[in-house]
Amino acid sequence: MRSRWFAGHSVRIFVLGSVLAVAALAATRPHYGGTLRVEIRESIESADPPESGPGMADLAGAFAISRWEAGHRAIYTADENAAGGRPFLDAIDIDMGRPFREQAIDIEVGKADLVEIGPAEARRLPAGRPVWSSAPVRVMVLVFGARVEDARIREALSLAVDRAAILNVLLQRQGEISGALLPQWLSGYAFLFPASADMAKARALVASAPGMSRGFALGVEDPGLRPVADRIALNARDAGLAVSVTPQATAADARLVELRIVSSEPARALAAVAGALSLPMPARADSPEVLYEAERAMLDGFRVLPLFHLPDVYGAGPRVKGGPGISPLGEWRFENLWVEGGRP
Amino acid sequence: MTFRTRLLLVFTVTVIVSVGIVEWMVTSATRQAFERMESQRADALVVQFRREFDRRGKEIVRAVRGIAASDASLSLAIAPDYAPYYNEAASLAETHGLDLLELVAGDGTIVSSAEWAARFGYKEDWLTAQADWTGRGAFLKREELPDGVALALLAVGTVNAGDRRLYVVGGQQLDSEFLSTLVLPAGMHVLLYRNLEPRFSPRELIDAAGPSSRAAELQALVEEATRRASEITRTVGSGAASETFYAVPLKGYEDNLLGVLLIGSSRRELVELEASLRRNGILVAIFGILMGVLMSAWAAARITRPVQRLAESAGKVAAGNWATTVEIASGDEVGKLAQAFNRMTHELVEQRERLVQAERVAAWRELARRLAHELKNPLFPLQITVENMQRARESYPEQFEEVFREGTHTLLAELANLKQIIGRFSDFAKMPAPEMQPVNFNQLAAETMKLFEAQFLQAHVTAKAELDPNLRAIPADPEQMTRVLRNLILNAIDAMPQGGALTIRTVALGAAVRLEISDTGQGLSPEECARLFTPYYTTKTHGTGLGLAIVQSVVSDHKGRISVESQPGRGTTFRIDLG
Repeated sequence: MRSRWFAGHSVRIFVLGSVLAVAALAATRPHYGGTLRVEIRESIESADPPESGPGMADLAGAFAISRWEAGHRAIYTADENAAGGRPFLDAIDIDMGRPFREQAIDIEVGKADLVEIGPAEARRLPAGRPVWSSAPVRVMVLVFGARVEDARIREALSLAVDRAAILNVLLQRQGEISGALLPQWLSGYAFLFPASADMAKARALVASAPGMSRGFALGVEDPGLRPVADRIALNARDAGLAVSVTPQATAADARLVELRIVSSEPARALAAVAGALSLPMPARADSPEVLYEAERAMLDGFRVLPLFHLPDVYGAGPRVKGGPGISPLGEWRFENLWVEGGRP
Repeated sequence: MTFRTRLLLVFTVTVIVSVGIVEWMVTSATRQAFERMESQRADALVVQFRREFDRRGKEIVRAVRGIAASDASLSLAIAPDYAPYYNEAASLAETHGLDLLELVAGDGTIVSSAEWAARFGYKEDWLTAQADWTGRGAFLKREELPDGVALALLAVGTVNAGDRRLYVVGGQQLDSEFLSTLVLPAGMHVLLYRNLEPRFSPRELIDAAGPSSRAAELQALVEEATRRASEITRTVGSGAASETFYAVPLKGYEDNLLGVLLIGSSRRELVELEASLRRNGILVAIFGILMGVLMSAWAAARITRPVQRLAESAGKVAAGNWATTVEIASGDEVGKLAQAFNRMTHELVEQRERLVQAERVAAWRELARRLAHELKNPLFPLQITVENMQRARESYPEQFEEVFREGTHTLLAELANLKQIIGRFSDFAKMPAPEMQPVNFNQLAAETMKLFEAQFLQAHVTAKAELDPNLRAIPADPEQMTRVLRNLILNAIDAMPQGGALTIRTVALGAAVRLEISDTGQGLSPEECARLFTPYYTTKTHGTGLGLAIVQSVVSDHKGRISVESQPGRGTTFRIDLG
């Protein structure tokens, strides 16, 4: 269901459990018109705007694409005949490929109205600035390729990674530590998968493995994940592994990637994750127990090491009204937003 | 080798050696001066490096203290949670121009690291090991970085906020960029070896452009400097490409050796200077040698000409021309030598005349003595006989006839003896010139031996002839040579009063002839041999002493040579070489 806020209402909403925190100071009444300037890190290189997944695909129904520059820019305009009624905004101007740091600067100087907030930028946001956060809908995993054959090495790395330090410092506590693919809020059993570090055991496993297998390359294409990869490499070094971080993920022996939980239905979400990771499809699960076993089977052998579940976090500019503009699953819900200074 | 050649050689060698010594002295002095200058330059560079090092150190200390005194650091120090600041060091380092910066909590935990962001949460125990960093300046330290180990010049600052403390550790890497900022004189360059590995690692040797390609040739120097941990100087390479390197050890804050600074100074200038000096030296030497040869030739000629004249005159003296004199052309040593030579020849002539005169007197004395002796022997019987005859006429007239008859017989015999003596002297005096004709000495020897057969028998002498059939006839006077053989055979018979063996031997010596007459008599002493051919000398109780003198005279007239070989008790051999 779509919800609307009207002029004269000042609303603060706390959604417990789904980690959605939205603070919005509404104007006396909504104004039609205006363009919402959005910046995102992703560069979508497809010839046409995406029609599925979170983000721009969510705009379909209330907005229609009016300009598409693959990888750079997209402009959506309000659909006058939208089924739920015309959105308040006239248009949404999306700038793609903007790093977290630049997004933070742009919102600070008023060049953008809505930006993604990276972990490093969270503390730089001025106090009182609206921050919209989804539930942890992304899972950060380390996926081993076929070249890392020794399961002891893979397990050693799993035990060496200090997830707590990474979450607390690099991710600025955005998200959750996890040893499971599906987040706790979705599966309810994620806590059963161990995620704590055990350096002594990791060293013992490495010591028992052949010397030749102790070195491998960790590929990370997303520059935003590079600090995490560097820390993993440092932890691995402490365990006796020689891990080099490379931006060429295709040539690497292991990859650090983020996957989005695309469904609020656990079985479908797990199947989607398995598909994304080229893992065998889990058996159809009618109960949490079966789903748990399916996920455990997927993680046996330490080919995939779940590390964190992360939320989508957005920061809104002072002109943006009517938020929150995202759903607990991180979907864009911009039809209820308007910007101050739009048409009277 | 002639004296002149030797003199020339000595002159030439002297010139070469002199030029060589001068060349060596000049080169040596130049090298010393150059190396002194190089050493001064290197010292200056080392001082410059140390000054630069100190300056950088002070800059780093200033920057680190600036960071420590900043509000940002104070905020961080008092922050309840350090997590939001994990990236703080990078921006602070960039702002303050530092390569390295770590913000470390009071317990030594890294809060933020500019050089290795991922190291947050790790411990830096060395920081907490030292209680007070306040007065400590910059120091060298081995720093671990994501891509390896680096050598860094660091400083530590502290932020104290209540009971909380924050360490600020900042600095710069000692890398190629650092080296490139050093201002060096022309021909000099600097390298740095970062002693960060247990053994020599070529990639740790860097210059201003990056990793040095000269690791192999500098390895020994680096290892020696590392081992000694003191400054050393060595020359690396050869020829114009050689360089003098000054190795300066760099120690860390724990007095551990973390690096070796290598200041290289090209020796090209010195080598080229030496080559130039050598070239000039060779040219000077060639000129000197040519001049030396010419001068020595002139000097040698000047010195050796009078010496040569002296040698020629000496040769003439040796040939018998004792009256030879040398012209005295100078008053120097050679002139004095010529003067001495002339005096010597003059004295030689005088001595010869005195000797001849003395010999003549001696000969006359010997002749008189011999004559007196020879004449006295027959005269004494004559006198006795005449006195007997007188006494018999006066005292025994009846026996006078008989005495007279016996007396006259004796007188005649003695007179005949006297006549014979006089005849021998007359023969010696009248020795005629030889009449040469080809003579076969084998035949002559055989015929002469035949004449003495009866005497050999009587004297119990066994005669033997050993005649060389290859003997050729040579020109000689057969009559005189027969006389020679007869005299020698008679001498041999006289030498063997108890009998013995006599051998006549002929030997062909090419075209020449050797005659040998040997006996087995009592032999002669060396003194007797020496005087044997002296006229009127004899070892016998009878004889005139002219026999061997006549033999020598004949042999001499035939341009031959006679010698005697004898030992007492072993016989005597006379040897005559003719032809």
